[in-house]
Amino acid sequence: MTEPLTQVEPHVEGDLGPRPGIVDVDVHPVPRSVDEIRERMPMPFRDLYKGERRSFFNNPVHGSRLDSVPPDGGPKGSDPDFMREQLIDGYGVAYAILISRTFCNIHPDPDYAAAIAAAFNEWLVETWLGEANYDGAFKGSITIAQQDPARAVEEIERWAGHEHIVQVTMDSGARLPFGQRYYYPIYEACERHGLPLSVHPGTEGMGINHQPTPGYPTHYIEWHCAMTLSFQSHLISILTEGVFERFPGLKYVFVEGGVAWLAPLLWRLDSYWKALRSEVPWVRRPPSEYVRDHVKLGTQPLERPDDDGQLLQMLEMLDAKRTLMFSSDYPHWDFDSPARAFPRLPDETRDAIFSTNARELYQLDR
Amino acid sequence: MRAHPIGRVSELPPGSRKIVEIGGRSIGVFNVDGEFFALRNSCPHQGAPLCQGSIGGTAAPSAPGEYVWGREGEILRCPWHGWEFDITTGKSVFNPHRMRVKSFTVTVGEEPPSDQQVEMYAVSVEDEVVLLHA
Repeated sequence: MTEPLTQVEPHVEGDLGPRPGIVDVDVHPVPRSVDEIRERMPMPFRDLYKGERRSFFNNPVHGSRLDSVPPDGGPKGSDPDFMREQLIDGYGVAYAILISRTFCNIHPDPDYAAAIAAAFNEWLVETWLGEANYDGAFKGSITIAQQDPARAVEEIERWAGHEHIVQVTMDSGARLPFGQRYYYPIYEACERHGLPLSVHPGTEGMGINHQPTPGYPTHYIEWHCAMTLSFQSHLISILTEGVFERFPGLKYVFVEGGVAWLAPLLWRLDSYWKALRSEVPWVRRPPSEYVRDHVKLGTQPLERPDDDGQLLQMLEMLDAKRTLMFSSDYPHWDFDSPARAFPRLPDETRDAIFSTNARELYQLDR
Repeated sequence: MRAHPIGRVSELPPGSRKIVEIGGRSIGVFNVDGEFFALRNSCPHQGAPLCQGSIGGTAAPSAPGEYVWGREGEILRCPWHGWEFDITTGKSVFNPHRMRVKSFTVTVGEEPPSDQQVEMYAVSVEDEVVLLHA
């Protein structure tokens, strides 16, 4: 079915040195049952939690690859060894950066949201990053609930330093643009621990979060396509509020928002900055320069024009060698195959996108 | 091209499918309302195992606000990205002229003689049980 991109040496148990192969920065581990999360929550939340997710804008076709059902049963994406077979071994993936989909950011109750995030983190560390991680292929993300930044910082403190934790993650569905001061305790903690902050869509317009369109769209296709609008709004806010001047060590990662919007957005922002910079004088450099130093984008779902040449030009325009990291979104329905999502790329660009950018950002080879 | 027996008609009732390996190619054979069709088990988009997808109907192009549901049992949806293909032609629903999956001819006939030069034994079927007389 799939052709590995690189020949991968068979791993040796107990040997956790650098692994050869590509890096996938958006992979979703799924609990075998809601009980795996619930049993890690304190009362009264343990009784309350039913695994709630989006209540509408569900995918009308299927949410995850139909062939990702583990052979021994259970939810799609819930068996680490089957993921190894389909993704890690199937495509020569050295490291899969795991991001739990907790939906904790939809809840009005900050304590409940934090309890969900905490339970998912404990579950991730004890399962996928524990016994199931015998080869060190899985690297994890600390999920935080945005509703209470001080509590989010406690959650970061709780897991930072774990050998397989490489970043913090939160949803792009939000009540405030990410450049605003509300989030600064989170940024300070990420910077202090050298943990990039990865942002993932999926709760836009859900629960307490704003929908980044004028009103609610009607269909899933509209909502899904418009998710990149929240990324663009957050990025404009982060750049103009001077987040990277306040937190010069902070690295931001945007996954699952596509990439083709980046170049024209930065052209626009850079050109306004020439005239309007005195309104935001802490933005000392053209905004695009901060992106190159502080921001990476996961590539999925990669936009594919009919003409590959146009995509290659677009990758040049957005400085893909510095700004992009490959992501597949396994096991979700819009999975990008490492072998087929991109046209043939120049070797240097390919290595940067599929391996070295992520290895450097997450210090995977240390 | 040669004929490969892939099973008895009774093993492939309407609505069912069987995925077989023929000369290194994975191919899905489908029974749509008593007629047999076969498609290459690889989506032309990103190489997903297309024939493992869901089988159903589709909404035909229609006026805004109208749904015209039909072709139940004739549409195969890719298990990854959900692209729709017409099982009876291999053509995609969204662009039948440019996006299609390779299709093969399927017929119902006598079991062809085996190529293999090994000792032959008589085989008979009695009461739906395959008996080997060796």
